[in-house]
Amino acid sequence: MINFGSVLRRGLEAGVAAGLASALVIWLFVEPVIRKALVIEERRGASGGHGGHAGHSALFTVPAAPGHVPAHGGDLVTRTQQVVGGAVTSMLVGIAFGVIFAVVFAKARHRLAPHSDFWRSMVLAAIGFGAVTLLPAIVIPANPPAVGDPATVTQRTWLYVLALLLGVAIALTVPMLDRLLARRGFLDGARWSVDVLVTVLAVVAVVVVLPGSPDSVPEDVPAALLWDFRVASLAQLATMWVVLGAVFGLLMERSTGASARTADTAGERELTSVGA
Amino acid sequence: MANSSAVAVPAHTAPSLASIRVPLWAWALLAVAVFALYFVSQENGALLSAPAAEMLHELTHDARHALGVPCH
Repeated sequence: MINFGSVLRRGLEAGVAAGLASALVIWLFVEPVIRKALVIEERRGASGGHGGHAGHSALFTVPAAPGHVPAHGGDLVTRTQQVVGGAVTSMLVGIAFGVIFAVVFAKARHRLAPHSDFWRSMVLAAIGFGAVTLLPAIVIPANPPAVGDPATVTQRTWLYVLALLLGVAIALTVPMLDRLLARRGFLDGARWSVDVLVTVLAVVAVVVVLPGSPDSVPEDVPAALLWDFRVASLAQLATMWVVLGAVFGLLMERSTGASARTADTAGERELTSVGA
Repeated sequence: MANSSAVAVPAHTAPSLASIRVPLWAWALLAVAVFALYFVSQENGALLSAPAAEMLHELTHDARHALGVPCH
């Protein structure tokens, strides 16, 4: 039996790699769009329009100093600190995802269909991407600075969390359904068809039933900027999942590879005895 | 021979592998990781003092936007 501690260590290593990769994608693709959005915010402040964000938190407000442009960060931190802080944050997020991924992988390994740990890891990463990244992103898409009404942030946060939890619920329920159908003697093709159909219907139901974002996008934010930001945000999150799945899978292969390859050709029972 | 036993065990009926035993502390660690995700992505003053929370918000600001969590 594989020791959980060694699985966790691989999860941490893969998490560091995923965090580094996503920090790189933020720096290359997300930051340029954020810079454009901050220019829009500053223009608003200068023209006395929306006045930027006086306070942008769910739970407290910070009054804007009179005559001062309340650009992002204000006097609290510089833009450089925000950019570095963003990279550090994505590292921390990658490590946290690595830990969670390792625990879920260890728990679900024997149920993941592929015959190698690399592909098991990739399948789990794909499920994770769909459940906790793509579904919330479709229900309530990412927005750059200059979009987002501070008054609705609590409502939007609950919507986001709800979409994420429903995504996880679908990811847990469909495999249970699959096993139930397998016990009832459904043929593989019929079973997989039911799995796909139920998944699609559940996702559509979540997207249709949950309300969209209550905010309207301000007129001075170009549609192209919004699109660029959402694509960049998804690219960053997809990068994180792909690197997490691939690095974790490769690290698992490296340890179990030698014994697993010979055992795989010799049959599954052989591998069980090797692993035990 | 190992090969003869393999023929007798079709891959799709056998449990695919020895599963990995997940100790109890691993679930506690998972909870800590989820809490860490909350902290860097959503903490805005529910746990920290207002100035500390605002500092945290500003430092994590770009990543919060990039991750797609509702920010402000």
